[in-house]
Amino acid sequence: MSIRKAMIFAAASLLLSGPRCLAADQGVTDTEILLGEVEPLTGPPALLGVAHNLGVRLALAEVNAKGGIHGRKLRLMALDDGYVSSRTVQSLRKLISVDKVFALTSLSGSGQAVASLPVVEEAGIPTIVSIGPVTPIYTPPRKNIFVVGQAYEEGMHQLALFLADKFPGKKWGVVTQDDDYGVALREGLKKAKAEKNFNVVFESIYKRNQQDFSSEMLRAKDAGVEVFIAGGIISENVAMLKEMEKLGIKPATGIFWPGRVEAMLKLAGPASDGIYAVDYVEPIASEEGQRFVELAKKYLSAEEMGRVNRYTMTGYAGARVLLAAIEKCGKDLTWVCTNNELAKTKELATGIMAPISFEEGSRFSNQKVQIMQADFKDLAFKPVK
Amino acid sequence: MRSGYFKETIAQQIDLTDSAVVRIWLALLVVVLVVAPFLLNPFYLSLLTMMAITMIGALGLNILTGWTGLISLGHVGFMVLGAYAYAISTSTWKLDPLIGLLLAGLVPAFASIVVGIPSLRLTGLYLAITTLAFAFIINQLILEFDGLTQGARGIFVTRPTILGVSFKSDTAFALLCMALAALTLVATLNLRRSRVGRALVAIRDNDIAARVMGIDLTVYKLNAFITSSFIIGVSGALYGMFLSYVTVEGFPFLLSIEALAILIVGGIGTALGAVLGTIFIVLLPEFTSELFSLLGDETARTLSTGAHELKSMLYGVVIILFLRFQPHGLVGLWRDCKRLWVNWPLRF
Repeated sequence: MSIRKAMIFAAASLLLSGPRCLAADQGVTDTEILLGEVEPLTGPPALLGVAHNLGVRLALAEVNAKGGIHGRKLRLMALDDGYVSSRTVQSLRKLISVDKVFALTSLSGSGQAVASLPVVEEAGIPTIVSIGPVTPIYTPPRKNIFVVGQAYEEGMHQLALFLADKFPGKKWGVVTQDDDYGVALREGLKKAKAEKNFNVVFESIYKRNQQDFSSEMLRAKDAGVEVFIAGGIISENVAMLKEMEKLGIKPATGIFWPGRVEAMLKLAGPASDGIYAVDYVEPIASEEGQRFVELAKKYLSAEEMGRVNRYTMTGYAGARVLLAAIEKCGKDLTWVCTNNELAKTKELATGIMAPISFEEGSRFSNQKVQIMQADFKDLAFKPVK
Repeated sequence: MRSGYFKETIAQQIDLTDSAVVRIWLALLVVVLVVAPFLLNPFYLSLLTMMAITMIGALGLNILTGWTGLISLGHVGFMVLGAYAYAISTSTWKLDPLIGLLLAGLVPAFASIVVGIPSLRLTGLYLAITTLAFAFIINQLILEFDGLTQGARGIFVTRPTILGVSFKSDTAFALLCMALAALTLVATLNLRRSRVGRALVAIRDNDIAARVMGIDLTVYKLNAFITSSFIIGVSGALYGMFLSYVTVEGFPFLLSIEALAILIVGGIGTALGAVLGTIFIVLLPEFTSELFSLLGDETARTLSTGAHELKSMLYGVVIILFLRFQPHGLVGLWRDCKRLWVNWPLRF
């Protein structure tokens, strides 16, 4: 090849590859890496959004305290979507194309994340989902979207198997929500029922945000329910527990991780004592949980500590996975490298859930779940041995 | 000698505009709007698209609430129906997107007859509550008929290819939404100056007087319901395409409230009000965010977790202040500005 042809070839290559490189490196300067996330930071869903945001900020603060990654400090830009899908999509577009963040640490709740998939996938930006891990987000796997957590179906499956073994031959009652979350819980329960053949005598689906469960609980009482699955989030589960307390019934009750926050125990009062819960995150009352609280106290204010819950842990763990991948890419930080390193994540220990790995070709960490029980006296969930 | 500017014929009275200057400005606006999607980055493009979709819905609601005086909180129910009609027809039945868009209008229009007939004797808050109940019933039906609607799982929707033209890219989709918004605007403006439009306004102003003048309240109120729902259904379909995923959860009740806020802030009862209100409400969260960012990172850190709550309150405060000091909405402000311009330096 002549020198002239070689130069033309080089120039053409630069022209063609130039914008791609520039796009891949957005959000990275010599001194800073800018990350972004969208979540509900106002209104009732802020209970999870703010907590998640604190977890991500904690992971970033921890790394920044050690000098950052390869000399670059980390900064987080969080946008509020109010739990409205169209705002999630718009906020993500803003983060990607206006604020030019390097990676994303949250796509809000499960419904919002599913609606955001085309935007995030098309951009190719490294993305961690650690709030609502539902199947459509990781099936089929997308090269840049990584889900840290466990599927609702599998969590419910494990909880039901545990309760079926612990309380054999009992009558079951199930109340679930009318959305994708409720569908997932019902599917998990169906799978467990096929294995253990327990007797469901009462089943009801309620409208999201319903607050009065007097009718449902009365029917559950009449049906003689002895094992009860409260498939709400927080306020719904509290309302169900309070109603059961009023009716003088106390079946063995199981709740699911979106509602497994300590604030729920406080709201439900003594009625919450002894309820079972399933989660892939360690309870705060455990040794691992206490270590996490100690770490959080170093970087978060007293007011912020009051808002720490399991979502702080999922946010922290998700951010740790991303930061580990960014670190492995060294100084030449690109989206391609980060996505490749994220896919190679193996046995990353965060101390607050089982080590995180992504199997070959998978973008789902498939975390191991554990059963825990509420202790109202200490306002804590404790692992069931 | 003429002592002023007078409109002497009915044709002049109902003409959309008789000013060459206005026509030139409108032509320039059209050129800017056609070129803008090719120049804007994806975020501003998505804002423009959302504005166009919201404007279609607001113009639809304006026919029912602004012109006929029937307050509806079931707006979101018609949007959901439109979105599902499009999603089922194109994604499940694999019909042509044009047929999908037509069904997105027809299905809510048919549903509006079902809700419209029992609501004919109702006005004000009673009608608002009835339409609100309708929105909840629609959501429940969608969740129950999961064989057709896939229940709470929702349906993925792809952007359409219409008559061989693909609208898959953000730019093309923005142009499609803006074209439909412009079409809706022209259609509603024409409707307003027709016999039907005048009858609707007469019903709003005094329904007994309108009846005395020979206006059939049943027919015209139903007409308003059907036309409004058809347009709102189309906006729902476009909203579904924008989200690429149609689910009941994606259409919160908040959308109904926002739509009413658009009409009130813009100036109820005018198409221009619906347009200005849309621009204002869609841009307001961005404006408050920008305003908040002026406080700097340090202040945001001091406010900690309360920072976003404060931002959200600021959004509400702006609307309250606006209504307090400009009760006629943005249209009133626009008219004041015009008068000031024409009469300056005299008082307007």
